[in-house]
Amino acid sequence: MLHDVFNLTLLQNTIRTATPLILAALGGLLTMHAGILNIGMEGMILIGAFFGVLGSYYFGSALAGVLLAMLSGLLIGLIFGVFTIELKSDEFIIGIAINIFAGGLTVFLLRSIFGVKGAFSSPKIVPLPDVHFPIIDKLGFLDVIFNNHSVFIYISWILVICVYIFLYKTPYGYWMRGAGEHPECLETVGVSPKRMKYISSLLCGIFCGIAGAHLSLGYLTLFTENMSAGRGFIALAAIIFGASNPIKTFGAALLFGFFDALGIRLQGVGIASQFTQMIPYLATIFVLFIVAKGKLNRKGI
Amino acid sequence: MFKKAKDNVEYLISLFLSIFAALLIGALIMLLNGQNPIVGYKALVLGAFGSKYKIATTFAKTVPLILTGLATAISFMSGIFNIGGEGQLYLGAFAAAYIGFTFTNLPVFIAIILAIIASALIGGLYAYFPAVLRVKYEIDEVITTIMLNSVAILFTNYLVNYPFQAAQGKMGGTDMIAEAFKFPKLVKLSKLNTSIFYTAIIAIIIYYLIKKTPFGYNFRIVGENGVFAKYAGINTKRYMILAMVISGALCGIAGAFEVYGVHYRFLQNISKGYAFDGMLVALIVKNNPVGIILMSIFFAMLKTGSNSMEVATGIPSELILVIQSIIILFIAGENGFKKLFKEYRLKRGKLVK
Repeated sequence: MLHDVFNLTLLQNTIRTATPLILAALGGLLTMHAGILNIGMEGMILIGAFFGVLGSYYFGSALAGVLLAMLSGLLIGLIFGVFTIELKSDEFIIGIAINIFAGGLTVFLLRSIFGVKGAFSSPKIVPLPDVHFPIIDKLGFLDVIFNNHSVFIYISWILVICVYIFLYKTPYGYWMRGAGEHPECLETVGVSPKRMKYISSLLCGIFCGIAGAHLSLGYLTLFTENMSAGRGFIALAAIIFGASNPIKTFGAALLFGFFDALGIRLQGVGIASQFTQMIPYLATIFVLFIVAKGKLNRKGI
Repeated sequence: MFKKAKDNVEYLISLFLSIFAALLIGALIMLLNGQNPIVGYKALVLGAFGSKYKIATTFAKTVPLILTGLATAISFMSGIFNIGGEGQLYLGAFAAAYIGFTFTNLPVFIAIILAIIASALIGGLYAYFPAVLRVKYEIDEVITTIMLNSVAILFTNYLVNYPFQAAQGKMGGTDMIAEAFKFPKLVKLSKLNTSIFYTAIIAIIIYYLIKKTPFGYNFRIVGENGVFAKYAGINTKRYMILAMVISGALCGIAGAFEVYGVHYRFLQNISKGYAFDGMLVALIVKNNPVGIILMSIFFAMLKTGSNSMEVATGIPSELILVIQSIIILFIAGENGFKKLFKEYRLKRGKLVK
């Protein structure tokens, strides 16, 4: 039975389940660096997932779906930004409001546009293409794990590197981190921390929009109510676990994706999956605890 | 003193403007769908209050809102943010159900008291951990309580699907609680039951605690100005933990009432985000206990009436979720809006001169 769970397909599934987390987390860690705790990612992903399907269905093109999802993410990121940065509302209140808003809006639109309840699938929704690399065809297990995935799986890896370079090798990334760590200092060198916060918030919306589109056009080809299913919170967990570093967060998302995939497979052979699903949340609290304890110890010295 | 009264008036104006603006946006959406908003809103109000049964349904929905709303208020006013109400509610509901289907031979009164105590204890305990992590290790309780929500929901999900699955098999629920323990219904066929009386008693106790005892004063001082509270000799850490535990206990009790008054068993999806709704209620009225009750009735009205609105206009009932979240957005942005408005007036004043 263990053989049915622990095999190459598990690793292949890990890559699949981790990707929405990676995409959302890349956005979330930008806001985190800019000093904003964004718990509205859950809703942002959901909105992206819906508009991805909407765009793909109406324009008969997956690319249109992704673009519409990015646009919707941008808008919701703008709303998040206006309220948290301009109007100085509590971040987590706006985050919760966005989650509830997204849940209501997507179901409302699902019913008023498509006239269905619960889920919408149609042959007219064009899915994102899978990519086939002939080079790794002959490489045995590497082929099984890494080949023939949906296109955004590969793009997400490239984006990890892009975000890393952006954050640590460009002035914009430097300023963005400054906006979170020392906004006053940033102001004295003539860069507006507010502007950097806005950029992070908009980018977060776009990334979550892509994560959603990948979910509804790549991972699956349909939209269901509440299909983000906690991924926004697991992405937040990955950001904290990875200390907001893109590479480490990528690793954390892969790890959490692994436990998710493991849970799904355990369920397939009749073993409770709930405990493996809990791991990201408990691991996050554990990491926060270790970090906090380290800080206190240092203070003690 | 006068400043406070002026603040309150300003706040009430913002509140009504927010609700009005949100309803206006709702009306606009109805118009865009080719429907008459007056017909829609009339159906909504009649759907919530048009008959004895409808009124009962509306008020039944206030129970979890009021309890989780008060829970939010106590924690938020003390400056510690319990976002984990949903998890505490699930655990409390399970604990209460466990007593109800295990100790079926207990006298009714004792069983119910036990169930409420158990749910409060487990809810409080589950809130105690993040509170300690916050005051002792400065770990952001917003993050930990969010994470703990998922953990509790997954854990109870495991319990009802494995060790405690119902006798008739996996159905995402436990066995029924003993027949005698069920809270009597107040109106036939509706979900309104005696838990609303218990909720009223709890609300009065919490009101008294917040407004009339040194406890409530200390909670607010701790929340508003931790440094001042420290110099005034208040043990801020203890008050923050206490506020969090009371908050968790209330959410646990909300779960117990769902089991004993509505479902008669624990279900794996027993709450559809009640704690988050309750949080919105408390946030909108700025943690005022009386406001929480009134706003809970308003939210419950929107929820109950939305189905009738859907029947009358064909507009999906989820429109009210959109309206609710717009209200909270406006209220959350209240101070910012006011500032912008004042700046705008100043600017215009200068131009005129």
